[in-house]
Amino acid sequence: MKRLGSLEYYLGALIAITLFNTLLGEQFASTTLVSILIALTVTYKGFVVIDHFMELKGANKNLRFLMRLYFLIFPSMIIISAFY
Amino acid sequence: MKDNPINNSLGIFPKSWEVQHAGRIPGNIPIWVGILSELTEFGIFFAAYFIAKFYYPEVFSESPQNLHTSLGVTNTIVLLASSYFMAKAMSFIRLDNKIKCERYLWFAFSCGCLYLIIKTWEFHWNSLQGFGPSTNEFFTVYYYMTFNHFIHVGWASCAILWVIFRLKKGAYSSKENSGLEALAVYWHMIDLMWILIFPLLYVLR
Repeated sequence: MKRLGSLEYYLGALIAITLFNTLLGEQFASTTLVSILIALTVTYKGFVVIDHFMELKGANKNLRFLMRLYFLIFPSMIIISAFY
Repeated sequence: MKDNPINNSLGIFPKSWEVQHAGRIPGNIPIWVGILSELTEFGIFFAAYFIAKFYYPEVFSESPQNLHTSLGVTNTIVLLASSYFMAKAMSFIRLDNKIKCERYLWFAFSCGCLYLIIKTWEFHWNSLQGFGPSTNEFFTVYYYMTFNHFIHVGWASCAILWVIFRLKKGAYSSKENSGLEALAVYWHMIDLMWILIFPLLYVLR
């Protein structure tokens, strides 16, 4: 059983990051730096959901590895696409 | 779950994948076969997005500005909240608190329905602006990704109703809840896909 309040903390963080990302996209010209920031926050959001909502942290390490790998590969492609 | 027969019956995995070595499997093995298949499917969509963006950079730079970003943000928050409600439902079934578990499942179902309504409105709004799947390469990718995701949210919402029905019948408890947990991890997978789709289509220019 999770400590009371930790899920609420993560939900708040995920919503704040979503709003921050949107602000970046809307207010600033799409630069390489913006793309890198967005890619990093997407990775963080993915890791939070995988570890704390899906509860793979402390569960099957292979499934956790595959899920986290997914959220390393595609955000990396966001960074690569910034150099197109 | 270690003692769940559905996780012990296949015997097709290497020893390093066994529960004793790798750790417990949330839900059951069949749902993870489904989840990894879905991840592959969405992975192909994401690859298509990056290839199309490489060949049509201007289209992918200008077209996102025609989308209703507020609706995309709202749907992101709705799905994040639904994942939170699903995680709460899991925590309450582990305490054998079925009333609160059911309540949070209804919250998650409501979020699923709200997402579908908002997305339908967004498709309608796009149509009113004159945008459709054949407008340009960006919108083709946009409709492939978002409509596919829309379908997943739709049938997973139906699955929540089925799990609520099973919960009312007494199928889940603190000791046996693998069916409910299987739905929970599937729902989180859908949320994860939107976490990737949202910046690709709405934020990046």
